[in-house]
Amino acid sequence: MATSAVVTGSQAQPRAWPRMLLVLGRVVLGVIFLYASYAKLHFNGAWHLRDYYFFFGMAINSYNLLPFWAVDLLSRYMPWFELALGFFLVIGIGLRWSGLIASALLAVFIAAMTRAYILGLEIVCGCFGNNEKLGPWTLVRDSSMLVLALAVTIGAFLIKKRGAAISS
Amino acid sequence: MKPLLASRIGTFLFAVAFAATSAVSARPQTKTSASPAAKPAPAAMDPAQAKSLGSKSAPITIEVFEDFQCPACRNFYETTLKQLIDDYVVPGKVYLIHRDFPLDIHPYSHQAARLANAAAELGQFETVERALFDSQDQWSGNGKIEEAIASSVPAAQMKKIRDYETAHMNDINAAIESDRTMGVRRNVSQTPSIYVTSHGKTEALPGGGVDYKLLRNYLDYLLRQ
Repeated sequence: MATSAVVTGSQAQPRAWPRMLLVLGRVVLGVIFLYASYAKLHFNGAWHLRDYYFFFGMAINSYNLLPFWAVDLLSRYMPWFELALGFFLVIGIGLRWSGLIASALLAVFIAAMTRAYILGLEIVCGCFGNNEKLGPWTLVRDSSMLVLALAVTIGAFLIKKRGAAISS
Repeated sequence: MKPLLASRIGTFLFAVAFAATSAVSARPQTKTSASPAAKPAPAAMDPAQAKSLGSKSAPITIEVFEDFQCPACRNFYETTLKQLIDDYVVPGKVYLIHRDFPLDIHPYSHQAARLANAAAELGQFETVERALFDSQDQWSGNGKIEEAIASSVPAAQMKKIRDYETAHMNDINAAIESDRTMGVRRNVSQTPSIYVTSHGKTEALPGGGVDYKLLRNYLDYLLRQ
């Protein structure tokens, strides 16, 4: 990413804005994932590094989607996965793939949330902490996050493609 | 000497008269408060205690903010609380407190809460709570609560509960409102909302009910600490 600044003259101008937008987009998306991880580990006014998975597991299980072993697995590792993903997005390492994973993850979350909403389940979203009720607002918010993730992913792929075309 | 004597006698008589008056005016108060004949005010049980199950000295306290007409509360009661009572409350590991949080969207939840509170004061909370949730489908449509729970609560007992409710309506409403205020203070936004207190720390569990297996894992973890 940083090497793009080396491009000089009139050719550099049209490429600066998309790259800046991409940087902004991935940082915003990365911070969102970092916050999602933080909210699963720090809630009720304290850190829960030893027992966070009980609470997050209860939130996941309320969707009535997964078997118990999968709930247990997700509740233990998802916060750390989100932390790593957020870190990769903010730093910009492997952006195409981290963007793709973030998009896929958000698409799965939204599908589960939409299903729960349609079924009329009165549950917590589990997105940012354990006490946020699932509703239209959480669906709209997560959908806009998916739009951002898709934009970052597509942008990262396009810039990579253009960079390859220029260098060839 | 004579005027002095007269004045001393006057002072003495005044003092005696004053003391006597004071004693007379003080006596009725003392007598009233100590009199066994005076009808004592009915010793109202602490509403929270009346709506609780188990031993107060249990290592874990669970508070559940519930609405008797809420389907999620019924589901939580049927699938989780009943087992929790058998496995943790009865053996003295958990002290379970019911908190009323009747939602305005449910037309009969206040009525059900009043009935449950009256039953609680008469030591019948567990029976009535179970009956209310078990027959929720029957009364939530028409509000005929007493009819719906008649098979679980005998008529004579129901009459006592109804009479108590009528006689103590203000106290019962105040107890429900007190629970609701507590819930609002704790940011309760849905029912059931569950709070677990252990080792001096209170944790809010995810709202909307919790699967028994997951709750059991968490409680066992707390008991191991």
